[in-house]
Amino acid sequence: MTIIDYMKERFVFLASHFILFIILSLVILLLNINAWVIAGIFCFWFIPLLMYMFTEFIKAKRFFDELEDVVDHLDRKYLVAEMMKTPEFIEGKLLFDVLKRANKDMHEHVNLYRDRQSGHREYIETWVHEIKTPIASTRLIIDNNESKVTKNIEYEMKKVESFIEQILFYSKSNDAYKDYIVKELSLKPIVHTVIKNNSRDFINKKIAVHIGNIESNVYSDGKWLEFIINQIIGNAVKYCTPQEGLIKIDSTVNANNVVLSIEDNGIGIADYDLSRVFEKGFTGENGRIVGQSTGIGLYLCKELCEKLGLGLNIDSEKGEGTKVSIIFPIGKV
Amino acid sequence: MTTIIIVEDTLTIREELKTFLAKYGYEVLAPTTFDTIPEYADKHNADLILLDINLPVFDGYYICKEIRKTSTVPIIIVTSRDTEMDELMSLNTGADAFITKPYNTQILLAHIEAIIKRTKGTSTPQDTLTYNELTLNLSNGSVSYRGNTTGVTKNELKILSCLIKNKGTIVSRDELMEFLWTSYLFVDDNNLSVNMTRLRKKLDELGMEKHIETKRSLGYILP
Repeated sequence: MTIIDYMKERFVFLASHFILFIILSLVILLLNINAWVIAGIFCFWFIPLLMYMFTEFIKAKRFFDELEDVVDHLDRKYLVAEMMKTPEFIEGKLLFDVLKRANKDMHEHVNLYRDRQSGHREYIETWVHEIKTPIASTRLIIDNNESKVTKNIEYEMKKVESFIEQILFYSKSNDAYKDYIVKELSLKPIVHTVIKNNSRDFINKKIAVHIGNIESNVYSDGKWLEFIINQIIGNAVKYCTPQEGLIKIDSTVNANNVVLSIEDNGIGIADYDLSRVFEKGFTGENGRIVGQSTGIGLYLCKELCEKLGLGLNIDSEKGEGTKVSIIFPIGKV
Repeated sequence: MTTIIIVEDTLTIREELKTFLAKYGYEVLAPTTFDTIPEYADKHNADLILLDINLPVFDGYYICKEIRKTSTVPIIIVTSRDTEMDELMSLNTGADAFITKPYNTQILLAHIEAIIKRTKGTSTPQDTLTYNELTLNLSNGSVSYRGNTTGVTKNELKILSCLIKNKGTIVSRDELMEFLWTSYLFVDDNNLSVNMTRLRKKLDELGMEKHIETKRSLGYILP
């Protein structure tokens, strides 16, 4: 707020005073009264007026500067009504009151949705655990009655399970709550478990897997990491060229991080799609080619990595393949 | 005989698990009421308890703690909650192992065998497999035939053991690969052929005349 802006807004008010003053001066001149009287009247009229306006300006400026300062420094701007000083002038008081009421209403509204969302999340979690019991029964029935048919059912059951996993992690990723424990882990058993779980796909599509040196230890949550790697390997398998597919898994230890890379020689991702693959619901060109793409997998990986403090990069050359890297930072003590 | 108590309130799982474990030579007890599990366990003196967490009356954690007050019987907790936190909680109540639902039955079996082996110390591990006069030693990775012995690689060992276990039936290449992959040996198609050739050569060198046969487009068989 500058004095010029302040005066501009009061231009009509000041101008009307000037016009009145000029009319009065003209009358005085016509009546042949001494010109000094005009000067006297000017002083008596305008000095208090301007002084009053100036003090009002200072007051207003001080208030609004402070308010702006509060807003600038607030992490959550909507809390401004709680943080600002109660103004002492009448317009301010009224506005302050309205702002407080609006805020209160907004909070109630937000809370309503927050409750609804957390209710939804809790329901999903219970549901996921409930559904696991019939799946476990199905698995046992399959194992007790092994045949070609049940083998195929088992294969489909695995897909069902992986979709269910995805729901669970989706609801976890949206929330501020944490159920993960970060501890020192060895990459190798996690990668091996994931490959083993996907072995049927590897064998059916005749995809070879080359595992480099992945003995390194990292700090993360085992279950979450397994889910992330499973999504990435699942993608690699999905977009691999059948018959001559190859997936390479390797890790490198750098000065301040460990990088786990998963590389395939599949169809690759076009340049114009590459920057958007982590967006929720984005399927792009490959989604249209292969189908069965939900645009959730990589989005979830990114979200979960962010929560765990890991980096996630993707590199790809159309027709050549895709390389996804998970970056585990190494803290320095 | 090894006795296992299954504490599980879902009827299908209880019955199927009973069938499954019985198939592998365990004696299985499965109570159908859940208010006196600790006393039940005490009375039947089992070698192992498979304990579900979500049970009527008392939950699995409580039962686990109660049993631990009087007994050191091995307990495997089975639950559909699979976070690291749940695992920690289960182990803190005194359970010996933690398996998540839906479990891979082979993994469940492996856990049961490992724990019983550890606690009883009297397991009869199958360290050797035999086929006619051929002996495959699983612990030191060697095959012998009429006094001749030669070493085999990990892959060859797994292939041969899979064929011996299924002797008389055709094992397809895919089945063989799946068996290798579940043993963490990620062998591709070409590799399998190479391993097969080497294995056959070794069996030839041992002086065995009739061994692995190829059934065109079906797989392999030890007749």
